[in-house]
Amino acid sequence: MRKLVLGVAALCLSGMTAMAADDPIAVRKHIMDSVGAAAGLSGGMMKGEVAYSPAAGKSAIATMVAAASAFGTFFPEGSDMGDTTASPKIWEDAAGYQAALDKFAADAGAAMAASGKDGPADLDAFKAAMGPVMGNCKSCHEAYRVKK
Amino acid sequence: MFRKLVAAIVVLGIAAAAAGWFLSAPEHLPEEVVANLRAGDAGRGELIFWAGGCASCHAPAGAKGEAKLGLGGGQRLDTPFGIFVAPNISSDPRDGIGAWTLAEFADAMLKGTSPEGKNFYPAFPYTSYARMKPQDVSDLFAFMQSLPPVSGKAAGHELGFPFNIRRGVGLWKRLYLDSAPVVPEDQLHGDTELSILNRGRYLVEGLGHCGECHTPRNAIGGLEKTLWLAGAPAAAGEGKVPNITSGEGGISSWSASDIAYYLESGFTPDYDSVGGEMVSVQENMAKLPASDREAIAAYLKAVPAH
Repeated sequence: MRKLVLGVAALCLSGMTAMAADDPIAVRKHIMDSVGAAAGLSGGMMKGEVAYSPAAGKSAIATMVAAASAFGTFFPEGSDMGDTTASPKIWEDAAGYQAALDKFAADAGAAMAASGKDGPADLDAFKAAMGPVMGNCKSCHEAYRVKK
Repeated sequence: MFRKLVAAIVVLGIAAAAAGWFLSAPEHLPEEVVANLRAGDAGRGELIFWAGGCASCHAPAGAKGEAKLGLGGGQRLDTPFGIFVAPNISSDPRDGIGAWTLAEFADAMLKGTSPEGKNFYPAFPYTSYARMKPQDVSDLFAFMQSLPPVSGKAAGHELGFPFNIRRGVGLWKRLYLDSAPVVPEDQLHGDTELSILNRGRYLVEGLGHCGECHTPRNAIGGLEKTLWLAGAPAAAGEGKVPNITSGEGGISSWSASDIAYYLESGFTPDYDSVGGEMVSVQENMAKLPASDREAIAAYLKAVPAH
């Protein structure tokens, strides 16, 4: 029985990696969707449309941390073709793109560190932590995304 | 008979040329307006500067932070009429506009006429700035003259015939330079207070010159005011500039607070981020008081939908 469970788990894992390797464009879109949803929750709380809670704030920040650490691995050579708005600059200026990813990860990491165990205590603390993270959306899109 | 016909054609031709020369003459501000110009307040002028988006074209492309205050020009606008190159409008007295008088600056902003009495091309959106209040022009001038000089003239425009004839712009101005508001008050719908709508109208139709990109143009570059803010092909490049009315393909699903938040933060209602030419515009709008962004939003919700 244990072997079966392990076997299934292994299959699932290998299935996931297979999907990631086969279709990096789909994976990075899923990651960016999660970033968009986290930004939406954050913006809703900042605008006062959604009541602030520290747990929700921390969840949004944690999503950014996870996305920032994973996102950059899904841009293999050749994945500039297809249904994507990734700019050719990602491959032409790989170092610049890596620097943008590093900044995103550093800002998200700093927000996580400022969150504490229960999340940022109030909306002002959340804004201070999350504001710089969300600034990455625009600067990175401006440089490394094309509009279609 | 034939000689008479030739003579008539020659006379008519001369008359047409004379009329064309007369009609294409660059206009100046009326003397009483010039006489009433007061020295400006540079502090107030800074807000006018951001609202007017001067740096988006006259600072280096992609400039951020302090670099936006270096107005040496040089950005190229590749349009169907040719390539326009933004000139140096820094306070450098030789290469910029540091030697201009306030009256000359006001003539440029409100009439599209240079200190040498030549027509500016409407790539410089004086067609919108013509709606500015004289005091705002003075304040803007005071602020711009306080910015650092940048030496070096920008390159000239690269225009083909007939667009390379500057004088001809005078005729164009007779058709399209109008300081009256585009949308009359009685066509602004909704229940927002009129004073707020008028502030929004001033910012959108005048200073912000939003219509210059968001409204389609006819074959000779005049704005199709019956399709005000209905979106247009991008002047440069292949893209499309979106419809920002509540019409089809427009932004009817955006609330006024969505619009104001977008101008402040750069996030659309579905949390995509602002892109393209609009990045620099949004960064300018973020420097205005919240009440101005709200007024712009209220105006956009109130204009006729196309």
